[in-house]
Amino acid sequence: MGARYLAGRLATAGVTILLIVLLNFILFRALPGSPERLLLGRIPGVTQQVLESTKARWGLDKPLFPDQFVAYITSTAQGDLGFSYGARGRPVTDVIGQRLGPTLLLFGLGEIVAVIVGLALGAYSGWKRGGVFDYLGNGLSLILYSTPYFLLGMGLLLLFATGLGWFPTFGMVTAGATYAGPLEYLADLGSHLALPLATVSLGLVGQYAIVMRSSVVETLSEDYVTTARAMGLRDGRVLRSHALPNALLPTVTLVAINLGYVVAGAITVEVVFNWPGLGTLTVNALSSRDYPVLQGVFLLLSVGVVFANLVADLVYGLLDPRVRA
Amino acid sequence: MKSPIRARLGAAAAAAALILGGLATSAGPVVAADPLILRVGTDQALETLNPWHSVTYADYEIFQVQYELLVGFDNNLEPAPAFADRWESSADQTTHTFHVREGMKWSDGEPATCEDARWTYQFVLDVVASDDGYVGSGFLEPYLTNAGLSAVECSDAQTLVVTTEFPTTLLTQAYIPILPKHVWSQYTQDQIGNAEAEGFFGNEPPVVGSGPYVTVAWEPGVFIRMARNPNYWGTPGVPDEIIFQQFASEDTMVQALRSGELDYVRGTGANQFDALANEPNIGTAEGYSNGYTYISFNTRGQQEGYHASTSALSDLAFRDALGYAINRQELVDKVLNGHGVVGTTHVPPYHVNWHVEPDHPRNFDLAEANRRLDVAGYPRGADGRRTDNEGKPIVLRLTWPDSQDNSADAQFIQGWFEQIGIGVDAFVTDEGKLIDDLAGPEAGGEANWDFYMWGWGGDPDPMSLLSFFTTDQIEAATNDCFYSDARYDELFMLQQRAVDVATRQQYIAEMQQLFYDAACYHIPYYDSELHAWRTDKFAGWVKQPADTGTPLFGFGYSGYMALTDANAVIAPGPSAAATAGATEAPAPDGADAGGISTPVVIGGLVVAVVVVVGFVVLRRRGGAQAEEE
Repeated sequence: MGARYLAGRLATAGVTILLIVLLNFILFRALPGSPERLLLGRIPGVTQQVLESTKARWGLDKPLFPDQFVAYITSTAQGDLGFSYGARGRPVTDVIGQRLGPTLLLFGLGEIVAVIVGLALGAYSGWKRGGVFDYLGNGLSLILYSTPYFLLGMGLLLLFATGLGWFPTFGMVTAGATYAGPLEYLADLGSHLALPLATVSLGLVGQYAIVMRSSVVETLSEDYVTTARAMGLRDGRVLRSHALPNALLPTVTLVAINLGYVVAGAITVEVVFNWPGLGTLTVNALSSRDYPVLQGVFLLLSVGVVFANLVADLVYGLLDPRVRA
Repeated sequence: MKSPIRARLGAAAAAAALILGGLATSAGPVVAADPLILRVGTDQALETLNPWHSVTYADYEIFQVQYELLVGFDNNLEPAPAFADRWESSADQTTHTFHVREGMKWSDGEPATCEDARWTYQFVLDVVASDDGYVGSGFLEPYLTNAGLSAVECSDAQTLVVTTEFPTTLLTQAYIPILPKHVWSQYTQDQIGNAEAEGFFGNEPPVVGSGPYVTVAWEPGVFIRMARNPNYWGTPGVPDEIIFQQFASEDTMVQALRSGELDYVRGTGANQFDALANEPNIGTAEGYSNGYTYISFNTRGQQEGYHASTSALSDLAFRDALGYAINRQELVDKVLNGHGVVGTTHVPPYHVNWHVEPDHPRNFDLAEANRRLDVAGYPRGADGRRTDNEGKPIVLRLTWPDSQDNSADAQFIQGWFEQIGIGVDAFVTDEGKLIDDLAGPEAGGEANWDFYMWGWGGDPDPMSLLSFFTTDQIEAATNDCFYSDARYDELFMLQQRAVDVATRQQYIAEMQQLFYDAACYHIPYYDSELHAWRTDKFAGWVKQPADTGTPLFGFGYSGYMALTDANAVIAPGPSAAATAGATEAPAPDGADAGGISTPVVIGGLVVAVVVVVGFVVLRRRGGAQAEEE
């Protein structure tokens, strides 16, 4: 990959992040209502003096430009996103940090499972196009792709948790439990993870399978596949070594971009299973109007999408020499 | 070549089995002696352990289980022994003596004495006298300031003497947790009250308290785990632990109750509540709400500094007529699914000793509403729309902070008002903006609104609900309909100082009538508290108060102490696990997950996945080589 291509991609990502930071500042300050009243809520007995002292405490008595803007840029660059309104005394970075791990665990594993199953299902459907497996696989993929996360999740929860009692209904581990060892902890985590993981994976499987299938179908008509077959290679070998590597290109982009939407996707699945990740944090922050936390999540989400796009560009550059120019 | 592959297959399979084994395990962890845990679900945030920052019902519930009030509440909400076991007042009711319970200890073993109570009350006095004038959320100080607290001292280690500016009985209703001085006096007012201050005291676990349970673990926004306080002065409760669990979705919370993973839920919607009522092993309670939903009017209309869309709003006759166009019973039936009580005055029926019905309630009657508007001088124009004194068609702006119930209310109101020739432009306003919009010029705002819906909640005593509408509260933006009546202000002071119940009842009744007649608020309903619990794990769910209350989230912790083990063969008492010392505070700091952190688990899983993927890759290469050979 050329240094010029790499530098170009990095510069684009950098400028985008800068614009996001700027937008973040403007967006949350353009919200209606004065922040000091928002901070105080409906406290009986709020006098003008109390309002003034609250403004001074949060630096809201200074002009928006340049004072507040410079302070915001400086602190954001230092990783200081301010304090949460809701979680008293806790910096936003702590609040988000506490919830990042569970979200990465759930969606990281969900992506891995979905990639493996989705690509395999799509590749085989494409390979056996027109057959029974293709009809069933493609039909299933379409159903999964079009089912909203919350519907899928609630269905699984009602069937396997409340109905059959096989899995817990909520949480990442049993709150307040003590464990004899790592295996017990892992077992508890696993039982809580099963349904949300299945929801995330099934939700993504359909999407990946559909893209992979159409890509494989397209690839199979290429000359080099006919050549490979003419050379007498077995079907499996033709698929793995000749059709798949080329068919994977659009899927790689899709997977990489999807990674950036981990937080956005997290919201509905996490709320259904009360998974203590960024999704439930966002919903709680919205309902309590915890704007500093929302601002932090927005920043993280936006940077995540930019980073995922950058990764997609770079990986694509590696896989396909034509885009490096 | 095949043997190594098989060996790798075995290793990979073992790694996968390790993970999948966990996935297939349905039950939670197994421990030697499972403690009897009461699991309580709430849809409110579990964001603070510092009582001065309490805002929500959940916040109050957490601190009242951990800390004794000076005087508590019995099952009928009457004063009951707590931190003090006896109390008396001087003949003029301005000097109040509280006898602190002998031999009481904090959960860390330090003696709990009068000095702790004195420090707590003095802290409030200092806060009120400070420049800020409030601490934390600012919700607790009024309990003492409304009672006229002026001085506090200990005459000996067990005797607290409180002086008030005027005669009062309100000190026994003060909702102030008595805090351990040896812990809290280490921090400044700023460190206690200002969450952004350097060295902020969040009261992290293990919490030092005097109540029956104290917090030993807390994952902010997720759960709070409490264990029995080994030094609690009374009979220990039956649950070994109490875990409060926060939910982002009411549906999931109810499913968790159904599956037995929760024992109690607060915050179910009307539909869920009705569905639960018919299920086995589930108990439900529809309690009176200690609050109400209201429709407030900008009664200053277009007076200088106020910006209502019509001057009609400052006319009592106009607002009064509108009250006849609100079908309160239909709102209860259709919006609340019947789970509420038709509203009238601003002291809800929850306060059985204080609530009165108004002399001439405005019953739904569109013809009467039309007649009154005609008489008041608001004629209909050619299009049927009524016009104000300036000849402008009346189209009122109706708003509310985001709420499904209020959105439904608004649609009904829009329909009824249309029939009396009043247009309604209905829309939701963000809570933060609404607070800002409501303020009148006295509070630095513009009062650019017409009428809106929201709600208030109260205390065991109606004092706070009455206090919102004194004239001085206009400046604080609490009096959000700009109600000002010298007689109401006088009555407020009189009831505050009344030491005789009958006299105080008389004052409070008059205040309700005055406020009702002013048509400043129309109160459509008192929405019910809907709670549900399982009956197959704990028994002894006692409602507070008995007829109209709920077992938990009341006042004090009596509901927790009344619980018994539904499956116990022997007499109620601490469970076997507790007597063996299984869960008593203070517990090891954050020892919840056996010391295993999420990153470690993530790392482990990633390694396992890499092993499996690695195996697949090796196998493919092996296969490819074999084919090419």
